[in-house]
Amino acid sequence: MATVKTLIYLIVYPGLLFLFLYSTFVEWYDRKLYARLQNRMGPTHTGRFGLLQPIADFFKLMAKEDIVPDRADRKMFSVLPAVGLAIVFTAMLLLPVWNYSLDRPSVTSFNGDLIVLLYLLSLPTFIFFLAGWSSTNLFSTIGGARVLTMLFGYEVPLFLAVLSPAVLANSWRLAEIAAFYRQRPALALVNLLGFVIALICVQAKLERTPFDIPHAETEIVGGTFTEYSGKKLAIFRLMMDAEMVVAAGLLATVFLGGFPGGALLGLVNFIVKTLVVVFFLSLIRATTSRIRVDQVVSFAWKYLAPLAILQLLIVILVKGLIS
Amino acid sequence: MKIGAFIPELLRHLFKKPATVDYPFQKLEVPRDFRGSPYLRPELCIVCRACERDCPAEAIEITATNEAEKRFRMVIHNDRCIHCAQCVDSCPTDAMQMDTRFEISDYDRHNLKMEWEYVRAVVKPKSEPKTS
Amino acid sequence: MKFQIPIGPQHPALKEPISLRMTVEGEIIRDADLRLGYNHRGLEKLAEQKTWIQNIYLTERICGICSHSHTTCYVQGVEKLMEIEPPKRGQYIRYLVSELERVHSHLLWLGVAGHEAGFDSFFMYTWRDREIVMDILETISGNRVHYGINTIGGVRRDLDEQQVKHILDSLAILRERSEYYQHLGTNEPSFVARLAGVGYLSREDAIALCAVGPTVRASGVPMDVRKDDPYGIYGEVPFEVCTADTCDVLGRTVVRIKELFQCYNIIEYLLKNLPSGPVAVRAPRRAKPNEVVSRYEAPRGENIHYIKSNGTDKPERLKVRAPTLGNYAATIKMLKNGFIADVPLIFAAIDPCICCAERAVALVDARSGQERIISMNALKKLSRQVSAGNARKREAEWPL
Repeated sequence: MATVKTLIYLIVYPGLLFLFLYSTFVEWYDRKLYARLQNRMGPTHTGRFGLLQPIADFFKLMAKEDIVPDRADRKMFSVLPAVGLAIVFTAMLLLPVWNYSLDRPSVTSFNGDLIVLLYLLSLPTFIFFLAGWSSTNLFSTIGGARVLTMLFGYEVPLFLAVLSPAVLANSWRLAEIAAFYRQRPALALVNLLGFVIALICVQAKLERTPFDIPHAETEIVGGTFTEYSGKKLAIFRLMMDAEMVVAAGLLATVFLGGFPGGALLGLVNFIVKTLVVVFFLSLIRATTSRIRVDQVVSFAWKYLAPLAILQLLIVILVKGLIS
Repeated sequence: MKIGAFIPELLRHLFKKPATVDYPFQKLEVPRDFRGSPYLRPELCIVCRACERDCPAEAIEITATNEAEKRFRMVIHNDRCIHCAQCVDSCPTDAMQMDTRFEISDYDRHNLKMEWEYVRAVVKPKSEPKTS
Repeated sequence: MKFQIPIGPQHPALKEPISLRMTVEGEIIRDADLRLGYNHRGLEKLAEQKTWIQNIYLTERICGICSHSHTTCYVQGVEKLMEIEPPKRGQYIRYLVSELERVHSHLLWLGVAGHEAGFDSFFMYTWRDREIVMDILETISGNRVHYGINTIGGVRRDLDEQQVKHILDSLAILRERSEYYQHLGTNEPSFVARLAGVGYLSREDAIALCAVGPTVRASGVPMDVRKDDPYGIYGEVPFEVCTADTCDVLGRTVVRIKELFQCYNIIEYLLKNLPSGPVAVRAPRRAKPNEVVSRYEAPRGENIHYIKSNGTDKPERLKVRAPTLGNYAATIKMLKNGFIADVPLIFAAIDPCICCAERAVALVDARSGQERIISMNALKKLSRQVSAGNARKREAEWPL
C-alpha cells in the first residue's frame, strides 16, 4: 500500500502529472490575469476560456524544428532543459502537500527540507546561466551574465526573508513551520514584511517584469533562450511555469500556513493559496517596467537586504517575547 | 514618485469588459465614409478616362472592345489598388464609387480583379473633373 | 574586454531594419555605429514618373505614422509652385488632421517607450486610448492610417456638425487620459528610473548635431517650425512650444506629453473657429518651371521637401528630408557611454522612422572617396567575396 501511495505521489499527485497540468493552468491564469489587468482578453479560444492554450503552445513547440547551433556545446545545450525540469519537479516533491506525516520525518519531509528546497530553486538559475553560456550566442552570453549578476542581488534577501518565519517557528521542516502558523495565525502577521520581500525576490527568481532582464526582448532578443527552439524551448517554458508553482507553493507554505487536510482538502488549499501568490506576482508584473541590471543589484542591497535583516530582527524579538 | 502608481487603474479594469474585440467572431462597424474598394456604375461612365489618368497605382485599365459600337471594357485591379479614392474624386459623373468592404484579401491576386463591359453612357457631367 | 554586439538589421526592438553596432565593455557602450540602407525604396525616383496628383498618394506612403506630414509638406510646396492658395476652411481641416495625427503619433510613441522599457501595461493602455484618435481620423477621412485628405488646392472631404461634435467629445476623454499618463509617466518609480538621465544630449550638442523635433526641444531649445516659420494657419493659432531642460529620455517623454495638451488646444481652437466656405480650389495640371522648399513640423521634427518643376505635369525632382535623418547624428552621441539595456529606449526616443529616412544608396570607396554605381549582380558577388574571406569567429569569451 505504501509503495502504491508513493508511486501515486511521484507520478500523479503532486508529482509529474499534476504538476504538468497545474503549471499549464497557472500559466493560463497568469496570462489571463495579466491580460485582464491590461484591459485585454487573453487566451480565449483553445478549450473553454482558452484553458488549453498553454498545453497547445507546449505541444506546438514540441512539434517544431529543433536547432542546435553549430558552435554550441552540443551535449550541454541539449541536456540542460531536461536537468532543469528534473530539478524543479524534484523541488515540488519537497512541498508538504499530501504524502507526509508531521511526527515522522520521511524521504520527502525531513528536518532541513526548507534549505534543500531553497537550493533546488537556486539551481534553475544556474541552468539558465549555463544555457545562455553554452549557446555561445552574443545575446545569450549577455543574458547568462545578467542571470548571474541578478542572482547576487536577490538570493540573499530571499533566503533571509524565507528563513525568518522558520526561525520563529523554531524548525527547519516545512511541514512543521506550516503547522506552527496554523496553530497561531496571529504570528503569521509578524512575517508580513518578509512576505513582501520574498514576493519581490521570487519575481526576480522567475525573471518576470520588472526583473525580466536576462531575456529582455527589446534589448537582447531572447536572452538566454535566443538559440533554443522546439522541444528544448518547450521544456524550458514548462520548467519556468513549474518553477512558478513551486515558488508560489513555498511562499504559501512558509507564510500562509501550508496545505492541511490530506488529499482533497489539501489540494483545494494548495490551489487557492498558490493562486493568491501568483495573483500578487502577476500584479507586480503588470504594474512595473523593466529595470536595469545595475538597478536590480543596488535595489536589492539598498532596500531588500536591510529590510530582510530588519524582519529577522523583528522575528528574533518576537520570539524572545513569546517564549 | 509613488510606489505602485498604476495599481488602482489596473485593478479597476480587472472586472471591466476588455477594450479589444474578438475580431473574426465579432466585427466593428466601419464609418459611413469608409474607403473600401472602388467599383463602377457602368450606366454613368462616359469614358473620359480621368480615373485611369489620375490613379496613382495604375489600377484602372480602360480598353475599347468595339470602337464602332462604343463598347468599352474597364478592369479594376484591386490587387494594385491603394484605396485612395482619387478615382471617385476625379470622376465627373459619379460613375466611380467606393464600397465599405474591408475584408478583401484573397489567396490569388487574379481573383481580386473586377471587370465591366459596357456601352459608353451619354450623361452630362455635373461639373468638370476637379483637376481638369 | 570589448566586443561588438549587433542590434539590427533584424531585432525585436526595431520595427524597421537598421543596423546599430555597439562596441561594449560589459554592459557599457563605448562606441556606436549606425548603418543605413536596408530599406531603400527608390521613392524619389518614382516620384519623377508620376503626376502631381499621383504623387500625393506616393508621398503619403513614405511613412505610415506621419503620412499626413509628408503629403502636407508636399502639397504646400506644390501649391506654392502652382501659385494657388487653398481656401480657409480647407486649410483649417488640413491642419486639424495634422494635429490629430500629432496626437496619435505621440500616443503611439508613449506606448512604444513603455514597451521598450518593458512596461507593457502602459503600452496597452496608451494604445487603447490611441484608438479614440484613430477613430476620429477614420470618420474624418475614411481611413485609419493613410488619410488621403490632402489634395492640391485644399482637402478632399468636408466636416459636418456631427463630426465636429464627435471630435470635441472625444477630445475631452483624450485630455483626461493624457493627464493620467502624465501623472503615471512621472510617478511610477521603475519607469522613471529607466528614463531619467538616460541618453543625455546637452543643449550645445543638440544644436551642433542638428537634432530636430522633440529631441532638440527636450534639450531646452525652443525650435518648432510652426513657431519659427509659420506655415498655413499657424500664424493665427495660439499655442506654445513645449520644452524640457533635462536633456534625457524623460525630458523627451515630458515634451511629448506637453505637446499633446497643446494639440488638444489647437484642435479645439480650429474647430471652434472653423470658417465656412469651400474646402478646395481647382488646381492646374501643370506647374511652371520653378523650385520650392517646403517645411513642416511633423510629430517627429522638421520635415523638408524640395520640389523642382519643369513645366510638365510631373515634378523634375522631389527630395525628402525626413526628421529621423536629422536625429541620427545625435543618436550616436546619446548612445555612447550608456548601458546596453538603454539602447532600445534611446533609439526609440528619437521616434525613428527608418523607411522615412532611407533615401539613396551611394557606394563610396573608403580609400579614394570615389562614388560609383554598381549592378546588383556585382554587388552580390562582392558580398560573397567579402564573407568568404572572413575567418570563423572564435568561441565567445567571458564578457565581464
